[in-house]
Amino acid sequence: MREAVVKEAGAPSVAVRLGRLELAFPTLMGSGCYGSGEEYEAVVDLRTLGAVVLKSVTREPRLGNDPPRLISTPSGLLNAIGLQNPGIEAYLAGDVGKFAARPCAVVGSVAGFSVDDYAYVTERLAARDEIDAIELNISCPNVGTEGETFACDPRLAERATRAARAATDKTLIVKLSPNVTSIAEIARVVEAAGADALAVINTVRGMSIDVDRARPRLGNGSGGLSGPAIRPIAVLAVWEVAQAVKIPIVGQGGIETARDALEFILAGASAVSIGTGNFTDPRAPLRVSGGIRTYLAEHGHASLGAIVGTANPGFVAR
Amino acid sequence: MQAVETSPTIHRTVVSDRREPAAGISVVGLRAPLLAARTRPGQFVMAVPPGGEQAATALGVYEAEGERVSLMVFAVGTRTRVLADLPIGAELDLLGPLGNGFELDALGDDVALVAGGVGIASLLLPARELVLRGARVDVLYGARTKASLVDEDRFAALGARVVPATDDGSRGHRGFVTDLLRDRDRKFSGIAACGPTPMLRAVASIAAEIGIPAQLSLEEAFACGVGACWGCVVALDRSSRQAPRFPPVGHLPGAPEFVYARICKEGPVFWAHELRW
Repeated sequence: MREAVVKEAGAPSVAVRLGRLELAFPTLMGSGCYGSGEEYEAVVDLRTLGAVVLKSVTREPRLGNDPPRLISTPSGLLNAIGLQNPGIEAYLAGDVGKFAARPCAVVGSVAGFSVDDYAYVTERLAARDEIDAIELNISCPNVGTEGETFACDPRLAERATRAARAATDKTLIVKLSPNVTSIAEIARVVEAAGADALAVINTVRGMSIDVDRARPRLGNGSGGLSGPAIRPIAVLAVWEVAQAVKIPIVGQGGIETARDALEFILAGASAVSIGTGNFTDPRAPLRVSGGIRTYLAEHGHASLGAIVGTANPGFVAR
Repeated sequence: MQAVETSPTIHRTVVSDRREPAAGISVVGLRAPLLAARTRPGQFVMAVPPGGEQAATALGVYEAEGERVSLMVFAVGTRTRVLADLPIGAELDLLGPLGNGFELDALGDDVALVAGGVGIASLLLPARELVLRGARVDVLYGARTKASLVDEDRFAALGARVVPATDDGSRGHRGFVTDLLRDRDRKFSGIAACGPTPMLRAVASIAAEIGIPAQLSLEEAFACGVGACWGCVVALDRSSRQAPRFPPVGHLPGAPEFVYARICKEGPVFWAHELRW
């Protein structure tokens, strides 16, 4: 069945490689948006996805932010979940085991508040066979100032990446924040520190105020904006990062259709991640993969790799 | 609540009928055999937007019988307007059934269903089920005005007694629908409620005061609807049977430990006395 899904006769290849991680499809499910995959198991055939990026886990348990945690905004979603998770020990004991018979690649997501956190949690999580790769979430905007600090300070981004790199040989994807002066500068130091790939971008910081109650709507005050509202911001970020590094980029930010995804790919992304788009329609990833394949066929390309970065004159071929 | 093995899927449904019981309120009938067979009282669906960059909309299932389900849509914004106006023959994809329903057998045989505004949409199936089980059912139904009280006859036809309340007194009791819980000389054996959060809080406090078990269907905007995003949480007593697995535990001074439970997954129906809101 999987073979049938992957290889239609003569169809262009949409397989991608991120470091050692090989994906049959170029679609990753964004961290925090797809739970552990099992929530969508009955809804979507997980074999048609490239990878599920799990919800971030931290060293200690985290209760998460007070509700409300989600607000709808024009063409967007403002969230401040606050990294609710049971902590790495309970996570390893309870949650990770269910990925043993995983139908698609599983990427563990690591968040932290110190360089040591990133090293420790990466080591513990990556040691499990059920986990195929690690995404380093150095860019959560919803846990006070400390969460995003790592993605906003080149020195800290470098140290966190280096520490995680030393903790595992599995593919290491580092997720960058758009809430910086120069995302290209951060991308360069993270590449130099040993990242195999970059996830571009995490949410854009934002706020919504209830004018009747005269206070912010989110329990946390500020939040991270996702959805189509941020897509142009994300496309430009990929464009700039693609000119700065040679490692593959996972483009993300408001992708709902194949044409959305193609914007990122033509800007220089090797793969894409779908987050909020799953909330609009859980079949979005299937449409994206199928639509990319159709586009490649119509334009006479044998594989996805042939079009990566082709709209971007400063793109460095990899 | 009822541990429901949901296995939700996306159902391609077709609009079979549509009526407008009040201005801005539509009951949209859909051909959806599998969904109709699987839906339990108190469950909901996510309506995939028929097009465009809009989020999916969570809706309680109003009716489910034979091959037909219906949704009661209150047109309050662009998303709900599109759904309310779907023409006969239009296709609509529904993800569901989602969440855990009411635990009706724990409510006894003299039940008050408390509805506020849009909350009425989630109480027809419980009313039908309770009547089938031989329970006496009063539907305490509050709305702003007489014009926005809908389908009273639909509930009456099941054998439930509808007791209306309106803000302006244009029909029934003038004031909060929850006043009706207190004013009565008869004591209900249980309460099931759905409506705006302030109403649900009032139901919870009155239920505690007069010692009646109450189940509340919480109203919340969901992003995923399937438990993946942890965006729709409510603080729940740690000892609740509905507490999620491996939850991080919260402490409040002088109060029992709580966990954040997902309204869409562990709920949307919770025991009032287990909520720590």
